[in-house]
Amino acid sequence: MKTRAKSALLAAAAAVALALPATAEVGVTDTEITIGLFGPLSGPLIAYGIDPLNAAKMVYDDVNAKGGIHGRKIKLVIEDDKCQGSELVAVVKKLVTVDKVFIAHGGSCTAAIAAAQEYVQREKVPYVMLNAAGDNAVFPPTRYMFGSFQGTQRVYGAALAEFAMRELKAKRVAIIVHDDDYGKANLAAGKSVVERMGGQVVAQERIPLSINDITAPVLNMRAAKPDVILSGAYPAPAVLLAQKYGEFGMTAIPLLQSTQGIPTPSVFAKNVGNPAALKNFYHPWSFNDIADEAVRKQWSDMYKKHFPGREAGPFMVTGLPSALSVVDTLQRMGRDLTREKFVDAMEKLDLKTPLMPYALQFGPGRRDALRGVYVVKFDGTTQKVMPGVYSWNGKDGM
Amino acid sequence: MTLVLQGVASGIVTGCVYALVALSLVIVYKSTDVVNFAGGELVMLGGYFGLFFLIYADLAYPIMFVLVPVAIFVAGALFDRITLAKVSGRTFVKHVDLVPLVVATIGLSYLLKGGVRVVPYTEEVRRLPPIFTGPPLFFDDIVLQVQDIAIIGVTTLIMVALWVFFRFTLLGKALRATSQNARAAALVGIPVKTMRMAVWGLSASIAGIAGVMLAPKLLMTPDMGSVVMLAFAAAIIGGFSSLPGCVVGGIMLGIVQNLVGIFLSPQAIAVTPFFVIMLVLLLRPQGLFGETIALKKV
Amino acid sequence: MHGSPPLRHLLPLGLLIAAGFVLPQFLPEYFLYIANTLMVYLILAIGLDILLGWSGQFAFAHIAFYGIGIYGTALLNMRLGVPFVLGMPLAAAAAAAIGFLIAIPATRLRAVYLALATFAFAECAQWVYRTWDSVTKGPDGLRISAPDIFGYVVGTDKRALPVIAIILALVLAATLYLGRSKLGRSLCAIRDSEHVAAASGIDVKRTKVIAFTISAFYAGVAGGTYTLFQSFIHPDGLGVWTLVLVLSMIVVGGSGTLPGVVLGVVLLGLLPEALRAAPRGLLVWQEFAYGLILTLAIMFMPRGIWGLFNRRTRARRKPALSVEAPAPARALQHQSP
Repeated sequence: MKTRAKSALLAAAAAVALALPATAEVGVTDTEITIGLFGPLSGPLIAYGIDPLNAAKMVYDDVNAKGGIHGRKIKLVIEDDKCQGSELVAVVKKLVTVDKVFIAHGGSCTAAIAAAQEYVQREKVPYVMLNAAGDNAVFPPTRYMFGSFQGTQRVYGAALAEFAMRELKAKRVAIIVHDDDYGKANLAAGKSVVERMGGQVVAQERIPLSINDITAPVLNMRAAKPDVILSGAYPAPAVLLAQKYGEFGMTAIPLLQSTQGIPTPSVFAKNVGNPAALKNFYHPWSFNDIADEAVRKQWSDMYKKHFPGREAGPFMVTGLPSALSVVDTLQRMGRDLTREKFVDAMEKLDLKTPLMPYALQFGPGRRDALRGVYVVKFDGTTQKVMPGVYSWNGKDGM
Repeated sequence: MTLVLQGVASGIVTGCVYALVALSLVIVYKSTDVVNFAGGELVMLGGYFGLFFLIYADLAYPIMFVLVPVAIFVAGALFDRITLAKVSGRTFVKHVDLVPLVVATIGLSYLLKGGVRVVPYTEEVRRLPPIFTGPPLFFDDIVLQVQDIAIIGVTTLIMVALWVFFRFTLLGKALRATSQNARAAALVGIPVKTMRMAVWGLSASIAGIAGVMLAPKLLMTPDMGSVVMLAFAAAIIGGFSSLPGCVVGGIMLGIVQNLVGIFLSPQAIAVTPFFVIMLVLLLRPQGLFGETIALKKV
Repeated sequence: MHGSPPLRHLLPLGLLIAAGFVLPQFLPEYFLYIANTLMVYLILAIGLDILLGWSGQFAFAHIAFYGIGIYGTALLNMRLGVPFVLGMPLAAAAAAAIGFLIAIPATRLRAVYLALATFAFAECAQWVYRTWDSVTKGPDGLRISAPDIFGYVVGTDKRALPVIAIILALVLAATLYLGRSKLGRSLCAIRDSEHVAAASGIDVKRTKVIAFTISAFYAGVAGGTYTLFQSFIHPDGLGVWTLVLVLSMIVVGGSGTLPGVVLGVVLLGLLPEALRAAPRGLLVWQEFAYGLILTLAIMFMPRGIWGLFNRRTRARRKPALSVEAPAPARALQHQSP
């Protein structure tokens, strides 16, 4: 009898609770904000996901340790998107409709993220990319999707081209990229900058992702007699390129390699195995941790503290800016949290942090956060940050 | 002209790379009719074992060069003993249903790839140091690395050794007998099951050596097994049952890929092996040197 | 088994359609998305099974036809304004036509070479999808706008589910009819022994080409159905991995049998979702686990899970849809030790 009365009471209470209108926004309670955090935690692109996702988690954990944001702690739901569109869409739909997150924060691969764009727009869910370049999903900008916290491929292409033209005084430029979306954007921006600044693209090689003999493209470039070579190759072809370019005696020609090809410069140098090949080697870098040892130490020590079992590569920092931006936005919003207000607040982001050379900014027609990067000279052992910040003007390659 | 010659020279080297892997595939096909879709992953495994022995266990290069084929031999033999024997059931059935066997090799390939990927060390692209280091060699304007010559040398050596083995040694003849008529072979006292294991072990160890030779050239990621498709193309060009055919096919493929990259576009390089496979199978399925058994009688 | 399938086989289809209308009313979109994905995989898998399980053709071109279905339906809708009800059959017919063309030379080849040739074709197709950017938008991927069916705009999982359920029901019904038809039995006869089939008067070459064409049509239909609830297609999703996944679904579930294929699709389709609950450190083992499942399945359940549990299958050593080969042929095929 007693248990029956109890359960009847509970049922009544539940009915009352369900009948009351929900006052808080989805994913927000008095004490918690639920954020869905995801990235490639398995599969071939795991190197671009694990450390950056950990870094983002670290930022959130740190905020929680310091008391949360306006009295609310951040609760994370972490998922693996395998850098595949079908998986990422499933993950986002699960996070939104089952885990009921406030915002979605994740994705290291632009093509996969683009698959979720329509859903996110339709359901009006704020989506913040983790560390993807994001070109295809921020141009044209859509209201709910924010990204490119370390710069788009257009930024890298344009920055390297600008450095080549301005500092290296190049006139004839050879560009080698992959035939994927990153390559396309990189090439378009680089080419536009070169031509705008009075130069000429004498060779453009688009290579397959799976290439294992890079002889032909390198020969083609050599035949075109460039002053500088701009590369958007991924890790394995980037090594092959540097090796072949060394083998064929082309090292007098500066080689400028986009970041995605060298997630860990020291490993890259070891793989190339030929210090002479890196005599004139440069790459862009969106962070201040090379130039400023204090910055590097701060974040790497923090990572060690949070993840003692794992040795983080330099790519770890790419997970930081998006998380810092989310935290900054939530802090600026105060106690009144709704998805629409989050989007409005994120749009007003203007975050200067010792970590990045430029402020992270969005705007009414802008959804890519960073448009200026450093250029670093790397000789195989030491990295030297070149003076100046090289940026994309928002027009080249569009 | 130098462009083309350099393309040809580099193509020969890469072609030998494909040929080595193709040799491994053809050996197992000739003996068991099974197409080993895990061939590429065995190459990958060889490369990573090499890295492990060399860097972690800090062994000398020659020792590593011997250990790797042995280790992969064991892996291949075990795979046959445990998995394939179970899948094919009875050893004497000639018209064994090939689909499950091939599916088993596909399973193996994901097993190996997934297993290797679990190790965090493999997240970054790695390179196995080559056997021979040293300044590049110049032939007129053509550049080749010392390692490249080694690859050509080792490939030719292995091909010749295998040819001699299958033709003239007792074990080789026993293996051929097993593949032609397992029942008869059993009747004359050849241990068929052990022969099968040996063939898989041999094929795997060649793949392992290929891994050690190739890793300096191809760079190591858990996905480097995709080179298997190029090996298939090489084997098909040469004729899937011919050992010298593999080498010829591989070299031709390597050269064609580079010429396509120079004269058409590097973008087309990716599709060349597949296009070649379709073309050869359409026009001359037995390849250059193969037996005319590619076509069905019905 | 002749003529139309018994009512008890068609009844589940009615339930399927009913579920298609009822489930979206109370399930969160995530589950509806999974259901839609599984239904598309099922159409794909049945198509592949017709080739692999029914007629024993080890052909790997399936994924290329899936792509033709997706791009075809989407582009017809977006560029030429062709409505879905017309666009999908057209795209599927195009896929079937190309399947027909491929089949003519391909069916001359022996098993292994057939596999390699069709695999090469699939890779070529993927390369075309990636490189022909003026049409497919190549590596940027193609954004698919929501089709509408006589004014009913699809596009969300909720609105697409009933439509997909109906399409699947039609596909299943067609498959059941096909299985019982003369053509279906001819296909199974070819799998068991081409010589015997030819001797029984079956035009083997013609039947194989027809199998290829039908299989490609199924893949095209699956592709068209994809556009009902997915907003984006990228060439990366049309490669080896997807093909191997569909192959595994058939193998693990039970090739040659409809319930087996359904089982395989459900199990392997739900597997990644089930694995989401794994502790984070174990997520990286997914690929290995997948390879292990496939290997173990083929080792211990060559007839798939359905074959393991289905008594009829165990007793006859052949899936329900096959034709009993006469005794002499059996002796030729399996030389008893």
